[in-house]
Amino acid sequence: MSKGESLPETTEPTTADDVAALIGDDLLDREEHVNAPGFVIRPDSVQDVLFRLRDEAGYDHLSCVSAQEYEDRYESIYHLKKFDDPTDEVSVVVPAAKDDPVSESAEPVFRTADWHEREAYDLVGIEYDDHPDLRRILLPETWQGHPLGLDYDQDRPQIVPLREHANPLQEDHEDDDGDTMFLNIGPHHPATHGVLHLETVLDGEQVIDVESDIGYLHRCEEQMAQQGTYRYQIMPYPDRWDYISAGLLNEYAYARAAEDLADIDVPEYAQVIRTMGAEMCRIASHMLAVGTFALDVYGDFTAIFMYAIRDREKMQDLLEDLTGQRLMFNYFRLGGVVWDLPEPREEFFEKVRDFLDELPEALEEYHDLISTNEILQVRTVGTGVLPPDVAKSYGATGPVARGSGIDYDLRRDDPYGYYDELDWDVCVEDGCDNYSRLLVRLREVEESAKIIEQCIDLLEDWPEDERTIQSNVPRTLRPEDDKEIYRAVEGAKGELGIYMRADGTDKPARFKIRSPCFSNLQTLPEMSNGEYVPDLIAALGSLDIVLGEVDR
Amino acid sequence: MVGGVFLQQTTTANASATTGPTLLPETIAGVLGGNGILVDVVSGFIAAFIVANIMLVMTAVAGPWAKRKITAAFTDRIAVNRVGPFGLLIIVADAVRLLSKELVVPDDVDRPAWDLAPIVLPFSALLGFAVIPMGSGLQLADPETGLAFVFAVASIASIGLVMAGYASNNKYSLLGALRSIAQNIAYEIPLVITAASVVIFAGTLQMSEIVAAQTETFVSVAGVSIPQWYAFVNPFAFVLFLIANMAEIGRNPFDIPEAPTEIVAGYQTEYSSVYFVLFYLGEFIHIFLGGAIMATLFLGGPAGPVLPGFVWFVIKIWAFFLFTQWARSAVPRVRIDQLIEIGWKGMLVLSFANLVLTAIIVGVIA
Repeated sequence: MSKGESLPETTEPTTADDVAALIGDDLLDREEHVNAPGFVIRPDSVQDVLFRLRDEAGYDHLSCVSAQEYEDRYESIYHLKKFDDPTDEVSVVVPAAKDDPVSESAEPVFRTADWHEREAYDLVGIEYDDHPDLRRILLPETWQGHPLGLDYDQDRPQIVPLREHANPLQEDHEDDDGDTMFLNIGPHHPATHGVLHLETVLDGEQVIDVESDIGYLHRCEEQMAQQGTYRYQIMPYPDRWDYISAGLLNEYAYARAAEDLADIDVPEYAQVIRTMGAEMCRIASHMLAVGTFALDVYGDFTAIFMYAIRDREKMQDLLEDLTGQRLMFNYFRLGGVVWDLPEPREEFFEKVRDFLDELPEALEEYHDLISTNEILQVRTVGTGVLPPDVAKSYGATGPVARGSGIDYDLRRDDPYGYYDELDWDVCVEDGCDNYSRLLVRLREVEESAKIIEQCIDLLEDWPEDERTIQSNVPRTLRPEDDKEIYRAVEGAKGELGIYMRADGTDKPARFKIRSPCFSNLQTLPEMSNGEYVPDLIAALGSLDIVLGEVDR
Repeated sequence: MVGGVFLQQTTTANASATTGPTLLPETIAGVLGGNGILVDVVSGFIAAFIVANIMLVMTAVAGPWAKRKITAAFTDRIAVNRVGPFGLLIIVADAVRLLSKELVVPDDVDRPAWDLAPIVLPFSALLGFAVIPMGSGLQLADPETGLAFVFAVASIASIGLVMAGYASNNKYSLLGALRSIAQNIAYEIPLVITAASVVIFAGTLQMSEIVAAQTETFVSVAGVSIPQWYAFVNPFAFVLFLIANMAEIGRNPFDIPEAPTEIVAGYQTEYSSVYFVLFYLGEFIHIFLGGAIMATLFLGGPAGPVLPGFVWFVIKIWAFFLFTQWARSAVPRVRIDQLIEIGWKGMLVLSFANLVLTAIIVGVIA
């Protein structure tokens, strides 16, 4: 798994001391997180420090912003990575005073900080100076209090006076003197893939501005995870984030983070099964993404949508054989998987091989119907353009980033599971448009099939007495106090990361989900401003968002 | 139907003057016996009623049943098969279901216009059938300007769409209405101009004459004589007309006035219950009218071997319906600006080229 192009040899600082020197006087303290060194900096110099880290040290990927409240302070952690080498991580810790939690916004440095900081403000209550638009993002604007704060009273009724909020959308939507029209697309609309609300401003058919209003499907996933025990109670939740058959990929994110946090080993055999299951989910997820994208562009439930669903259904059957479930798999356990492959094993292998044998033909059909269709090319080539530097600034990952020519895939760049033992390629397209993102997904299905085939070969020949599906994990896990970790895996939609802080109990003190859809959706205005409404819809479809994961 | 009567009255003088086939009202008048204005009016009504009901029955079969079955065949599914033989009784079930739904009238709709729009749409298409020769003596009227009449009444549908879009007080509806105007203007000109090339061949606007002109033998291959259908004589015009016709009736890939994934349902977003049925009906009758015009102008109308003329006519318009559903299952929708570009920069130029070339060729030969 070597990179396609050689990395530029520069004198970029890579050791923690170099980074500390770069931060200089703004450094208050040093911490050690499991995944990266942490640097506590002054809350009024966030932009300075991040600019330096980005431009001089090459940390160009703000993966996540985790905010939390301690007994004596608030804290925002900026998890920085490099797109060239995501294993080179730095955590920038910004404390904020308990009585007046204000720190400087990172939005001028990384556009992606916009939404992440809004979420931190919404749920934890930290205010960000210099933030362009610090509003609530997941909860209604009228919400009282910050639910993840320590003194939040869950029993307090949320009183929303009707006369002030009879229609929260009513204001300023009549543009009397201009030529523009305000249009609500969603939350109930055929093309929003769930309950997404796009507040668009149109000039005729052209999109002047679009703003996503999210949070309709917010289910307090982070808080629920904080109330569950590491060992058993959290694992069912990830299935509910990206529920479009990407369940095992989500479980992988939690498994990886928790196993690294608690120093748990996973038997090799279980890793192969996990890798295979994850790629099965990726195929199922990409099938649906291709089908719904075609639906958005074609505008009807056409043949291609049904074909995609048909092939996804076959994969869904295989996953059912493997995990016993079709939607909420709950198959991974810390230290392995819950049970071995279904008996008789030969039958399962044969089924998987049948699917893999039929897949090239099915993909050929997809290419015939969509990617080589001229009308579809006219519709998608050159529309919804997302330049690579913009994509990086917004923290776009997954097929969206790879469709913009960013050669970034955590399976290869930050290997986990069994990926680095297998032979497969990362698919990158340079078109930066809707068509490239479609092609990336179609090609990734092929690569996933390659991975599954190799896993099947390995599993078939695995000696019977070495089939350990779980390592010996204590019944109760209590990671040490103040141990912090941020770990990500390559989900179907991109980098799915989890930040956890242990406090010595058997439940995490803070559980933060970095959802790839959340960051990817932020790029929508960049892609659709100035385009026509149909291209806005196509761009939205090409992002392949799942609202369950955006809103969590 | 009202138009049918009107036409009947205005064109009986003309029709009797020509030596064309007997029209349906005349046949009925013959059965009723007697002469005079009253018999003419009554027989006109009966004839219009028969023709309208033939079209409504076909629409009823097409909408709830055939469309589902066809789409299902294209997408590997089974579709309706529970109610009645082959699921045919779904037509009854759907009719009851749709008609018994609540008619939701949104606030601030422009009442007379909002109510009239769903009536204008199906009736504009039904009017078109007044002059279509359907074979086996099924033709209501045969004015000398038949072709112009068909295009004129079919275009009334645009007004219905605009009324619906504007009166609905809904931005999606308005967008759909604007789209449909832009589309109709862009595609009606190529449509009419391409039809004009047929007129150059036939030398008449009268529908029965256009059909009659196509009965002559075009070429004889191994003893089988192929008739002079204009689709064979000028395939280029046929393809042009087919594309423009798809846009005119708003089917994929030109279904942008509705565009479910973009503007919800366009002009019909706010309509429910009976009004929705009327819109749905109107669209299907428009598809059939489009097919009927295609059949008359390019496919020899009701002509065909062995089977009676009317059967051939039905086969031809259902073939066109099948084609629209095929396109719906297989072809992506173009974008609004691309649609306008194809219309103004492509279709218009090509249709004029076709017209000029046809005129030159016909002028040189004749």
